[in-house]
Amino acid sequence: MSLVTTLWSMQAAAALTVAVLYGVVWSVDRRNLANLTLCVVAVAMAFVARAEVGMMHAATVAEYGDWARLCYLPVTVALIGQVLFIHLFLGTGRRGLLWTIVGLRLLVLIGNFITYPTFAWRAIIGLRHVPFLGENVAVPGPLVLRSWHWLAFATCLLIVIFVADAALRLWRQGGAEQRRRALVAGGGVGLSLAATMLYAQLVMMGSLQLPLLVSPSFLITILVMAVELSRGFLLYRQTRQELEELRSELARAGRVTALGQLASALAHELSQPLGAILRNAEAAELHLNNPSPDLDELREIIADIRKDDRRAGDVIEQMRALIKRRTLQMHPLALNELVQDVVSLVHSDAVARHVAIECVATPGLPLVSGDRVHLSQVLLNLIMNGMDAIQTSPANNRRVVVEARPREHGQVEVAVTDSGPGVSAAIINKVFDPFYTTKSGGLGMGLPISRTIIEAHGGRLWAEQAPGGRGLTFRFTLFQAETALRTQEIFQAQGAVS
Amino acid sequence: MSVSGLVYVVDDDPSFRTAVTRLLTAAGLSVQGYCSGDELLAELAGEEPPVGCGCVLADLFMPGLDGLQLQQACADAGFELPFVFLTGHGDVPSAVSAMQHGAVDFLDKCAPQQALLASLERALERSEHTRLSRARHAQLTRRFAALTEREREVLEQVVHGRMNKQIAAALGIHERTVKLHRSAITTKLGVRSVAELTTLARNAGLFAEPPSACP
Repeated sequence: MSLVTTLWSMQAAAALTVAVLYGVVWSVDRRNLANLTLCVVAVAMAFVARAEVGMMHAATVAEYGDWARLCYLPVTVALIGQVLFIHLFLGTGRRGLLWTIVGLRLLVLIGNFITYPTFAWRAIIGLRHVPFLGENVAVPGPLVLRSWHWLAFATCLLIVIFVADAALRLWRQGGAEQRRRALVAGGGVGLSLAATMLYAQLVMMGSLQLPLLVSPSFLITILVMAVELSRGFLLYRQTRQELEELRSELARAGRVTALGQLASALAHELSQPLGAILRNAEAAELHLNNPSPDLDELREIIADIRKDDRRAGDVIEQMRALIKRRTLQMHPLALNELVQDVVSLVHSDAVARHVAIECVATPGLPLVSGDRVHLSQVLLNLIMNGMDAIQTSPANNRRVVVEARPREHGQVEVAVTDSGPGVSAAIINKVFDPFYTTKSGGLGMGLPISRTIIEAHGGRLWAEQAPGGRGLTFRFTLFQAETALRTQEIFQAQGAVS
Repeated sequence: MSVSGLVYVVDDDPSFRTAVTRLLTAAGLSVQGYCSGDELLAELAGEEPPVGCGCVLADLFMPGLDGLQLQQACADAGFELPFVFLTGHGDVPSAVSAMQHGAVDFLDKCAPQQALLASLERALERSEHTRLSRARHAQLTRRFAALTEREREVLEQVVHGRMNKQIAAALGIHERTVKLHRSAITTKLGVRSVAELTTLARNAGLFAEPPSACP
């Protein structure tokens, strides 16, 4: 096989690889049309390469003319594709210019197929053979140009102007990323187009004794486009990480807000053990004033002081855990215990608001895989929402029921049900919208944050009318620790194979 | 402590209840602990109101009956027990409401011991005072109950400063009969002067309104 055939086949293969890659990328995220334009340009580029090989190996003038004529189609597709890519990627192209280019280029294409041999050439007078990459390839002899041949040239010139203009406008907007894009995309695509145009013009005028080629410049363009778009993927990872950090920061803000709402109740929760410690100490003092103090009583008092001190410490520890900045740390958790902890945190608030909180614990509930602090936050949020919802109910009917039970497919479901008035079906899903709130002091972030937390755990959080009457139920699912572990193992095994 | 009486401690937190009971006992008070308002009411229901000298030291926020509701329930049942409230986080509206309903004090759970004991002392004094005045009142009521219908009518006129002649005219009886009634009244009530008689009648809560049969 000749070197020309090999090189051009490789060009086509490279172009088709890029086409397949970006075609797949586009099919995953159809909103990003720049990926589609790159795919189309790359396919067209492969056809251009094929036509060029045909032209170089043409034996007769007619064969050369046929390939040249055919070449107009992929070239047009590739040119329009590049213009659209620049338009989508830089976002600063002039629309008027864009559609003028598309219109003119289509006109040239139609003109090309109703004339012979091509739009620009009236006739090819003989072929010459010149040495190129170690073999003799066909180049056109003197060409008879049509009077309108400048239109094809003008279209290409307009494309160069369009690209340069779009790049310049983006450059002027300032910003490091904008300038880099303008320079690389505008410069790369614009310069290679301009160079090709100049080259083709020189060949047609007979000044250069070389084959008429556009594919090498198209290949450069495609590579520039591909590199630019793949930068997007690299940035995507970084953005994802930033998003993850932002989410965890938002969750923390949510926890701090929730604690703020609980502040007075927590103060009460702390004042119980602190008050008990103080009274015990005072009682001990009085006993010590006795000439013969009751030592057993004193020992009991000291034991109680210790116990209450631990109790106060636990409350503070729980608060501190909720305020700490942290990312998800998955551990096997006993849900019943977690529910108890959260309920004890809101206990004082519930008592002050005459709310009875019931925990329905399923004995032998399997461990779940989750982050203790984040899940506490979700439960805290749901229980506090429940208590807010029943604020207007009569004092003897203010109940919040927290229930955890196993579900199929290795999941566990937690339901928080209030005995309040519930919400209408129309807004039942609106409650998860950010900034949607029915409370005067509410921020409307609690439920959206809770939902992201549960989704980060691989579960779902949703709302529904409480079974059998009034009130609202929030349900969320979590994976059992065993299931999560197995899934992780499967992933790891797959990772090892690939 | 100088005053006597029973302190009913009502708090749902067993640890705090025990600690307070210890302190108050060590300070020389008689204390009984209850874990809820309902428990205290159940205990009191066994007794005939009014109970003896005592006061209630209650947590403001409790499951079931809260402090203010317990205060109301006690008053409704006729137990005139002074209340001292304890709270972890006292808010102004609760404090105002408690004081309006006759609470003696409203204290933080970590309030100084002296403040707590002083409040309880005042509450027990108030209880003692209430008990004494109630006893005096009961005794007076018994003394006035010994008077006949006609004597009460005459007494009413006397308390409002009428002369014997006016009384006789108002009741349609002879002036000498009025004098006889008056001496019977002073003998039965054990008073010597009209001024004393008037004070006594006022203390017994009698004849606040002027007599209707005014000429």
